[in-house]
Amino acid sequence: MEVLTGLFPWITNGPLIAVQVMSGLSVGMFLFLVSVGMSLIFGVTRIINLAHGSFYMVAAFLMVTLIEVLPEHRLSFWVALLLAPIGVAILGGVIEVGLLRRIYHRDPMMQLILTFGLILMISTLVLLVWGPDNKSVPRPDELAGSVRIFGQPFPSYYLLVLGLAPVVAIGLWVVFYRTRWGMLIRAATVDREMLGALGVDVSTLYTQVFAFGSWLAGLGGALAAPTVAVALGMDGDVLITAFVVVVIGGLGSFAGSLVSAVLVGELQSFGILIFPAVSIVLLFAIMAVVLIVRPWGLLGHPEE
Amino acid sequence: MGADRRAVTGALALGVLLLLPLVVPTFFIVLLIEIAVVALFATAFNLLMGYGGMVSFGHAAYFALGAYAAALLAKKGGWPMIAALAAAPVVAALGALLFGFFIVRLTHTYFAMLSLAFGQIVYTIIFKWTPLTGGDNGLLNVWPPDLLRTPAAYYYFTLVVIGLSFWALHAIVASPFGYALKAIRENPRRARFVGINVRRHQLYAFVLSGAFSGIAGGVFAFYNGSVFPDFAFFTKSFEPLVVVLLGGMQSFWGPLAGAFGFKVLEWLISRWAPIYWPLFLGAIVVVVIVALPLGFVGLMERRAWRLRSASR
Repeated sequence: MEVLTGLFPWITNGPLIAVQVMSGLSVGMFLFLVSVGMSLIFGVTRIINLAHGSFYMVAAFLMVTLIEVLPEHRLSFWVALLLAPIGVAILGGVIEVGLLRRIYHRDPMMQLILTFGLILMISTLVLLVWGPDNKSVPRPDELAGSVRIFGQPFPSYYLLVLGLAPVVAIGLWVVFYRTRWGMLIRAATVDREMLGALGVDVSTLYTQVFAFGSWLAGLGGALAAPTVAVALGMDGDVLITAFVVVVIGGLGSFAGSLVSAVLVGELQSFGILIFPAVSIVLLFAIMAVVLIVRPWGLLGHPEE
Repeated sequence: MGADRRAVTGALALGVLLLLPLVVPTFFIVLLIEIAVVALFATAFNLLMGYGGMVSFGHAAYFALGAYAAALLAKKGGWPMIAALAAAPVVAALGALLFGFFIVRLTHTYFAMLSLAFGQIVYTIIFKWTPLTGGDNGLLNVWPPDLLRTPAAYYYFTLVVIGLSFWALHAIVASPFGYALKAIRENPRRARFVGINVRRHQLYAFVLSGAFSGIAGGVFAFYNGSVFPDFAFFTKSFEPLVVVLLGGMQSFWGPLAGAFGFKVLEWLISRWAPIYWPLFLGAIVVVVIVALPLGFVGLMERRAWRLRSASR
């Protein structure tokens, strides 16, 4: 124990640890929203959408613009939070119909490379539209302050994020397991050809799923906007972390994304305390180990 | 094309390359050096993608390992440039051996993802290990000896090093090893049945590809006079991919042609609007994949073939 307290002086500081756990959870929440969308899109279309981080970034920038444009009102933040992800969903739908639909039958590598190309295009377009400077999104008045948790200050906006987490997770569960649309999505994940043969309009389903996955990324980006500097480059950061989450949890696995997002969120939160310099290396090392030992992820299924 | 005509074409191309510095402005010599570096990087990458059917998303790591090895040994180790440059492929190959050992156990998408993960690890280490690598500031003043300081001299030097590398890569591709690699790409299971050790061949290809990427990195370090962590960043891994897509991965010389097109395009676009360059880069990829699956060179080859068969 003495060795531990010598190495990590914070280890006996209960309140600090509690706050750290909570901030890890809220980071995990953003990651979950992005990675579950990525995972969902992969499950149905078999495309790993590398532009998913770009959707997240676009949503954050849309928040900036929407809050500027909307009249100053108590509710304008919430209206922006509603509209920004919808804008991203539309963007995703357009990309699916315009580009991805043409290459579903092609080599998966080509699909991956195409979405990589989209990253470059979207980041340049964002630069052209919003300029190179960092932006910020103000938190809504009622959540601008902080609350004390075990005597430690904790930004109240994060409480919103933490409160939304179970709502979103349960909502997704209901959509996937209690609606006909969710059943179609799960069926498409298992056998797309058979679903088509049974008379389901698979092509429309793909577009819907892609737009829905984009909406989730957009919701993540819009929610995260008030907590970070809205900047070019956030696409790559989010993409890489979400990618790690998806790989660790298992591509196409809903529960896997949830577990792994929380895991990675906590790892980032505590990694900064334990190994400030190498927390990112640690993340990739864990991903590498998972890929080597269980390439299909912790909760995924091996492909036949 | 017959062997004779090929020899004549080769000799002519070599003659033109040798005489160019005498007639074109310095700027174009510099551009040619950059084309040569990108061409080698992309051809090394294509040994994996085109011949082995393995797509790496983290190849910038081996380019950067070569660049940093050469720069560190020359600057901090006091090694002569040639020795530092010779160490570049060795260090890159060691890195490729270490990572490749794990990466070739996976296929397709997972192969790409693990290579990306290792690539980002290399990037992070370079970025964070400030005492050794200079971190974000990179390493500056990595210049070749006086003899090679002028663009024309360095151009000839590049031509020799990269020409030899191309010759070696061509020999590898034409060797039984190269054919085994193609067999694995076409059908790994059948390759295994005829007695090819699939994983070992893939690992060798990965290491060779990493080594030649390292040479490209080393040559670039001394040309650029400095090295930066960006060399290892995942967007840099995109470069050989675009070049190979442009040139077509079906032929050995495709990436060379692709590198030429890529750099000329980059130069033209960056001249009037540098901020549009990534937009074009992305658009090129999207257009090539959606509309021209064989790449521009592949397209021209097919058109030439059609013309020939039509004239018959």
